[in-house]
Amino acid sequence: GDSWGIFTFLCAALCNLPALPALNCTEELGPGQSIQKTYDLTRYLEHQLRTLAGTYLNYLGPPFNEPDFNPPRLARAERVPSATVDLDLWRGLTDNARLAANYRAYSRVLCSLRALDGQGTAELRHRLGHFCSSLQGLVLSIAGVMSSLGYPLPAGPPPQPGGAPTQPGGAAPNDFLKKMDDFWLLKELQTWLWRSAKDFNRLKKKVPPAVVTLRMEARGF
Amino acid sequence: PFVSPAADPAVISPQDPTLLIGSSLVATCTVSPDFHLKAEDLYWTLNGRRLPAASYAALGPTTLSVALARLNGSKQQSGDNLVCHSRDGGILAGSCLYVGLPPEKPVNITCWSKNMKDLTCKWAPGTEGETFLHTNYTLKYKLRWYGRDNTCQEYHTAGPYSCHIPKDLALFTPYEIWVEASNRLGVAVSDVVMLDILDVVTTDPPSDVHVSRVGDLEDQLSVRWSSPPALKDFLFQAKYQIQYRVEDSSEWKVVDDVGNQTSCRLAGLRPGTVYFVQVRCNPFGIYGSKKAGIWSDWSNPTAASTPRSERAAGGCDPKGGEQNTTLRRELKQFFGWVKKHAYGCSNLGIKLYDQWRVWLQKSHKTRNQV
Repeated sequence: GDSWGIFTFLCAALCNLPALPALNCTEELGPGQSIQKTYDLTRYLEHQLRTLAGTYLNYLGPPFNEPDFNPPRLARAERVPSATVDLDLWRGLTDNARLAANYRAYSRVLCSLRALDGQGTAELRHRLGHFCSSLQGLVLSIAGVMSSLGYPLPAGPPPQPGGAPTQPGGAAPNDFLKKMDDFWLLKELQTWLWRSAKDFNRLKKKVPPAVVTLRMEARGF
Repeated sequence: PFVSPAADPAVISPQDPTLLIGSSLVATCTVSPDFHLKAEDLYWTLNGRRLPAASYAALGPTTLSVALARLNGSKQQSGDNLVCHSRDGGILAGSCLYVGLPPEKPVNITCWSKNMKDLTCKWAPGTEGETFLHTNYTLKYKLRWYGRDNTCQEYHTAGPYSCHIPKDLALFTPYEIWVEASNRLGVAVSDVVMLDILDVVTTDPPSDVHVSRVGDLEDQLSVRWSSPPALKDFLFQAKYQIQYRVEDSSEWKVVDDVGNQTSCRLAGLRPGTVYFVQVRCNPFGIYGSKKAGIWSDWSNPTAASTPRSERAAGGCDPKGGEQNTTLRRELKQFFGWVKKHAYGCSNLGIKLYDQWRVWLQKSHKTRNQV
């Protein structure tokens, strides 16, 4: 009883000690560690998305929040490139192409989610804001991996802080179509997060940490 | 998922209408000729629920209407989902119905200025706020004797119905302040509140609140604090208030007649008891006026304990009480040892333990509230 309390207290007090060395880390992560970090971020976002999607779909109202809801996908310009891809094509992707596809997709998602800013209940806006911060972290993390492997970032509309993207198909012409667009955006985002976990797992195997260490030693020579 | 060809499968009219609660609506769904569907192949749902066929009417070979009577307020602020389906359940088109009430006048506008530098106002929506539609609030203000209206930009700083004006405020002159509420059905403007910034000044709570024992006196504690720094800058005086409570109770005792000193002695306390103490400050006599300002927030609670008398105190559970004393005594000895033998641990001490007990109490409270 009390001894557990003391233990908790001591841990809390020790955490307040200045200059814990492990936290002062400003060293650059090697590509292996960056890939692991990006992988972890996709899992975290996947978890966050479940809560966000629940809140957002409830805001859209039934039938959008019903479990088997499956509306038609109208052939308008997609806001986000599809995550679904032929398995052989996926296997055959170069590291650069694989990373670039992820970078492009999440940049577009971020843009679209930011365009939703201001709508919805206070709870929804709060959750969206939090999710966008994490998503921004993921985009930057992917950019970090690409640069540490020497790949250039894909050109194209960068994620803008508040601007809505100029979509080729134009914005949804009515509120109901906009709700359907938002529904599919969330679905596509979910698929991307599932796929990214596999993408980064594959990249992890191709860039093991040991290789990184050797490279760093060679540079210091 | 089925990807439909380029043309929209059907068109609903009216598209995304706004309606008053209790009104009726006749909506029509016209299928595109490319789809080879007839009026009898269609049905309607509202928020996922199928509407009765008795309310349908075929207005043409490819047009089906539905009659909705005495509509209730929208189920969600994004609009009710009225959907036209083909017989197999597929969605052909949808329309969002915004059914609600116009806003009511916002009420109870109260404002305060932190150290005469800014102004924060909060208000309450009229009625219980349930208009079923998203309502936008705009706080506006202007100097009473000059024409220009200004709009507050930073919202939600002190709760959902609040706004913060950070700068460019004049003193010694009245402002007119009001709130406009607007939604799809209309606008409502609150009554105008008139105030001079100098009349609604508040300040930061006192800092460096220390509570300590008075020698061995078992029924007293001494409280000391520093006046808020703004006091020196703005020529106001401060009066203080202290509140304190026993650790396990939620009943605060208030000491009102502290005046403008920065220390006070609490007496008549229970021996061997942990107390939580808070202090707050009221700036008055701003630029020579006799008026009081607005009380600051309470300082973060500081904890301290009165000494326990060596003679047994009556009415206490001896087992529970004894355990507490032994525990604290041992902790004190441990911290003394830590100070000698561990570096960088100067923050550890019995005081930190007391602060932790305050935190523990608080977090138990919020846990119980949920």
